Amino acid sequence: MSESASPETIALVGNPNAGKTTLFNALTKSIERVGNYAGVTVAVKEGEMFTPHGQKLRVLDLPGCYSLRAHSPDEKVARDALTGQLAGTPKPALAVCVVDASNLERHLNLVLNVIELGLPVVIALNMVDVAEKQGLRLDPAKLSEELNVPVVPIQANAGKGLLDLKQAIRHPFPPAAASPWAQGQEDPEPARRAMVARLCEVAVRRPDAHQQTVSDKLDSVLLHPVFGWVAFLAIMFAVFWSIFSFAGIPMGWIETGLGNLGQWVEGAMPDGDLRSLLVDGVIGGVSGVLVFLPQIVLLFLFIGLLESSGYMARAAYLMDGFMAKAGLSGKAFLPLFSAHACAIPGVMATRTIDSAKERLVTIFIAPWMSCSARLPVYFLLVPLLIHRQEGSWLQAAILFGIYSTGILTAFVVARLLRARLGPDKQPNHFMLELPPYRGPQWGYIFRHVADRAWAFVAKAGTVILGLSILLWALSTYPKTDSEESGEKLAHSAMGRIGHVIEPVVKPLGFDGRTGTAILTSFAAREVFNTTLGVIFHVEESDDEEATRGALRDKLATATWPDGRPLFTPLTVVSLLVFYIYALQCLPTSAVVAREAGSWKWAAGQFVFMSGFAYVASLLVFQLGRMFGLG
Amino acid sequence: MPFALANDLAVDSAMTLNQARVGCDMRIQLLDGPACERLRDLGFCEQLQVRKLSNGRNLICSVCGTRLAISRELADQVWVAPVG
Repeated sequence: MSESASPETIALVGNPNAGKTTLFNALTKSIERVGNYAGVTVAVKEGEMFTPHGQKLRVLDLPGCYSLRAHSPDEKVARDALTGQLAGTPKPALAVCVVDASNLERHLNLVLNVIELGLPVVIALNMVDVAEKQGLRLDPAKLSEELNVPVVPIQANAGKGLLDLKQAIRHPFPPAAASPWAQGQEDPEPARRAMVARLCEVAVRRPDAHQQTVSDKLDSVLLHPVFGWVAFLAIMFAVFWSIFSFAGIPMGWIETGLGNLGQWVEGAMPDGDLRSLLVDGVIGGVSGVLVFLPQIVLLFLFIGLLESSGYMARAAYLMDGFMAKAGLSGKAFLPLFSAHACAIPGVMATRTIDSAKERLVTIFIAPWMSCSARLPVYFLLVPLLIHRQEGSWLQAAILFGIYSTGILTAFVVARLLRARLGPDKQPNHFMLELPPYRGPQWGYIFRHVADRAWAFVAKAGTVILGLSILLWALSTYPKTDSEESGEKLAHSAMGRIGHVIEPVVKPLGFDGRTGTAILTSFAAREVFNTTLGVIFHVEESDDEEATRGALRDKLATATWPDGRPLFTPLTVVSLLVFYIYALQCLPTSAVVAREAGSWKWAAGQFVFMSGFAYVASLLVFQLGRMFGLG
Repeated sequence: MPFALANDLAVDSAMTLNQARVGCDMRIQLLDGPACERLRDLGFCEQLQVRKLSNGRNLICSVCGTRLAISRELADQVWVAPVG
């Protein structure tokens, strides 16, 4: 057993809410690499730990599952990982079955399943404190004796019993236990259940009476047909309100910092192409996107809080009836809710949906939830519609209308699409575990948020940085002798592109410059602001609102060659409609292709949404003109 | 429901989880229907005690101290009898 060779792998497996991830974090301590199996985050997490003898082990945190029959994609991932069929992860040498001690009747079935696979097994009897509070009497020794595997009582959230567990998983691993109950059985399921019942009889003593727990009391309000909805709306409102209001403070800092950096570079360097590249291209382009980091961090923080407290399951329960009107179930709520932050985690979260067709439909409509990348565009355009300043109630109402338009259209399309796809081969009915309310696990949440934030910064540092430089080059070269900025732009590559696509966007009410901005934003929506800033030569100032304000002033005074104003209220509405519907995000399409398992689905979604956006925008503009608006 | 099993249940106490009263403790007698495997995975096993907590489009019940929401179609496949 050489130390330098790749360390052996152990896997944590258990039902949902058994505390696998808490145990994983407690065991590995180090900030783990989030295991990208086939490039997707979530699913299988990977980390390293050391046994008391200093031996290194690779730890896999598998998605929670009830059985190994693989009903839903995340259960399939768990099964494949245990049997060594998952690409990129070696077959584990040992499985640590994490079971909720207060719930052995339900959790032991999976343990028997894993033992039958012939893997060495160690049982981590988690949450023994909760079990004791419920008045359960556990007998781990008896359980160990019956199953012939080590059983270690632990309390992962308080770090108790971890040393004992590490002792149990050090070398040599315990031998794989036999599974006598499954011998000679064609269908081991009834035998497994009989075994579980026997185990619980000898190892657990449960008080008969149900007790009214704190969770019961909370649920009587939060799941109430009337108060439940009031609480739901209040929580959702609070989440979105905090995102928009609190995020403003750190956003100001980022903007100030990057603005100062730009000014410093401008002062420190001689005038020339290089300075222009750094100030206008790199700093200007990247800062336009980086300012949204606080909002993204806050949204993921709230989603993490709602998830780990146990409320998300209640929200899914409440929303089930509403979602059914769109042909979806309550399980589609969480993916669609997270899609308001970013469609990518939303699409990935659809893995918990059992029905394959419902999952496809949810993936299809997820990009119509207005994601945070659209916010910069909305924030730029909405004030152009009524006031010049930002932040009035009327503008908030318009923003609300924009969100609702996206959601309602998405639901109508979901309903039509769901009907077209037909029913599933196997009927899938709504079933959901409502975990007891727990305090938030801050360590886990912070790690999750840091992960998402880093992914966003990495995107700004790579894709958007590259695009910023490209945009700058397109709008700078080829050069002309003219000093007038409009002529310079018309002569540049970007001006020429704009000229070419003007006939395409003119029926929507846009000129070539807006058309160019739309075209570039197909890589990422935020680039719309960057492009307009570059085209209209807006000076970066040290205040984000001021920058947007300066750009907005330029837009408001911009005209067609014949002197008509470029941005009338009707054009702005048409542009907003376009941005609600257009799927302008390459990473989303890539994730959709992977999650839906077909490029056709992603391509179809892209063509449909972009076509829909064009037609909707065309209708708005042309009908508006017929009625004499704009 | 298979005839022989139906006979085993006391006639007056046989009902599905849908028909049970809210707040009552029941014992699961029989699972019958296409989704029984899935229900067993969730913890609805014969002889376990279940308490129905709410009615509605999806009903909430607690099995072994865990709360579960299941649809009415699923609850129709769980046959229960009052405890005691």
